Amino acid sequence: MITLVTGGSKCGRSSYAEGLLQGAEGAKIYIATMMPYGEEAQITISRHREMRRGKGFETVERYTDIGGAVIPLGSSVLIEDIGNLCANEMFCEEPADDPCGRIVSGIKALAEKAEDIVMVTSQTGSDGIDYDGGTAEYIKVLGQVNAALAQTADNVIECVYGIPVALKGKIG
Amino acid sequence: MILITGGAYQGKRKFAGERFGISEEKMLDGGVCSFDEVFSAECVYGYHKLIKRLMAQREDPVRYTERLCRENSGMILILDEVGCGIIPLDKGERQWREQTGRCGCTAAGHSVQVWRVTCGIAQIIKGEEI
Repeated sequence: MITLVTGGSKCGRSSYAEGLLQGAEGAKIYIATMMPYGEEAQITISRHREMRRGKGFETVERYTDIGGAVIPLGSSVLIEDIGNLCANEMFCEEPADDPCGRIVSGIKALAEKAEDIVMVTSQTGSDGIDYDGGTAEYIKVLGQVNAALAQTADNVIECVYGIPVALKGKIG
Repeated sequence: MILITGGAYQGKRKFAGERFGISEEKMLDGGVCSFDEVFSAECVYGYHKLIKRLMAQREDPVRYTERLCRENSGMILILDEVGCGIIPLDKGERQWREQTGRCGCTAAGHSVQVWRVTCGIAQIIKGEEI
């Protein structure tokens, strides 16, 4: 089962996504995509670590090339989040030629090994602001990634201030 | 508590009036009202603006929201959705957006009904229509 969880900033996506894998049997893998640079990233990372404590997740850090993450066969995988992964693929020292294609094929490769995949992503295209160059390109690419992943997913859930709303499939 | 959310100018106040029979003058403007009158108001709109004002006074908006959920649990709270964009460069804006998210989750958690209004169309996303 593949589930995509989307929503705005601090909308309760992470808690909802973690909850989906609560009863999962077998290994639970948390793929963290946020690069641990800067004070605010550190705060976010520690807050999420605290949230996951005692829930049985093994953390794997993977900032680019998500398909290359090593996961056990039949495991349940939580990927957090696609927005960071997309930024990493676009703006790291060696940007991917096709960040969207790389992310989508990477997720599909993981889906062949995993029993369950839950991906957290963000909605970034709804603030009506015209951004320049890199940011505008990022919004576009992430929009394409989200659309492609939603097509692959069984369930697509949007979190609105912590309330899950099914956009595709059903609320787990 | 009943929470009504959605983007700016989607018809949230109009919906609150029509659905719950609240007149315009009974709707308190979170952009200008006092912090105290919110605790006895039937309805407050622009709660995201109130959050910004609380933060400017170094008040903790999440604790304020928790207290509001306890002390005025019968109210209708109107809160814009503000998180669906690029993370703001300005630290203050960034923190406001995060706090608004947390306050929204708190209010939604305590609410018996949560409505989302888009293009004037209200969908119930938590609870049941009575």
